Amino acid sequence: MTGRTIVITSGKGGVGKTTATANLGTALAMRGQKVVVIDADIGLRNLDVIMGLENRIVYDLVNVIEGKCKMHQAMIRDKHKLELYLIPAAQTRDKDSIEPEQLRELCEKLEQEFDYVLIDCPAGIEGGFKNAVGAAKEAILVTTPEVSAIRDADRVIGLLEASELHRPKLIINRINTNLVKHGDMMDKDDIVELLSVEILGLVPADDHTITAANRGVPVVHDKKAPSGSAFLRIAARVDGDEVPLMDLDPRISILDRMKGLVGLSGRAYSHA
Amino acid sequence: MRDFVKWLVSQLAAAEAHEQTGITAKQRLQLVLIQDRLDLPTDKMESMKHEIWEVVSRYLQVADDFLEFEIRRLDELVVLVSNIQVNDASELVPATG
Repeated sequence: MTGRTIVITSGKGGVGKTTATANLGTALAMRGQKVVVIDADIGLRNLDVIMGLENRIVYDLVNVIEGKCKMHQAMIRDKHKLELYLIPAAQTRDKDSIEPEQLRELCEKLEQEFDYVLIDCPAGIEGGFKNAVGAAKEAILVTTPEVSAIRDADRVIGLLEASELHRPKLIINRINTNLVKHGDMMDKDDIVELLSVEILGLVPADDHTITAANRGVPVVHDKKAPSGSAFLRIAARVDGDEVPLMDLDPRISILDRMKGLVGLSGRAYSHA
Repeated sequence: MRDFVKWLVSQLAAAEAHEQTGITAKQRLQLVLIQDRLDLPTDKMESMKHEIWEVVSRYLQVADDFLEFEIRRLDELVVLVSNIQVNDASELVPATG
């Protein structure tokens, strides 16, 4: 078996990289794939809590790389008994604890056993970024539709190109359809025009993501969550299925127009 | 009734005046990204400066160095601004040439 190693990255922090990694990994495993997710954010471990596996950690990524434990000892199986495993980041070490070549070697070993090796990349463009990016052969870029996130994403696209990771694919996270409808948020076409990248998926802003994180259960398990179904579609697309992009393009209904005229729509944009 | 019409007109005007900030965001980013991507390494900037100086000095007697040489924003454009002192313009080619 030769799996695919994909880095999930962003320029700006806090745009939902870890959530995207957890959900993409879970969704791929729900499709019957064998998946391992690696938290490469050394010192700022987070993927474990998003997946609800924080109490099961014994060994971490740095332990494996330093040979303190076997690769399998650091792999924590998902609670839902999917073929999904987590290699957590070390929490009390710094980002210089591993070298890019070491992570690359580990991923190459994992590719022999797994269909997908997903790396959750730390934010920023420092050493941790280089480690994560150097180990991957494909890249997924996460952004929100905000000016700062998009500017930083553009910078990362340049850096990915420099590391021979061409054609990264973009996930636009936390799209507020209501704001887009009123022209107060850039839509996917604006963002594609700015960044000239291929869109992998659109994820609507959704409170379910927050409650899912509170519980430590990735939102793809929640059948009612719009963001969950968005990630399922993204996983299908990564896995080679042709799925159309989620239709988030808001149509302004006649009722909305009338409400707008009589001042009922308000500007207190609730989540769509 | 008159009050209602007044009110309706004011509502329409308010709807019209609403700035679509998504468009503002996009326009601002278009310029910012051009600038970011233009982040020429210092040595490239220096060699461009040198070559431009050489070309100009073939036509004019100019100072040894530019007073100003940089890429910056000018309203809605990203521009290269260069300023150099001309010492002797007597060799300027006449406009009829």
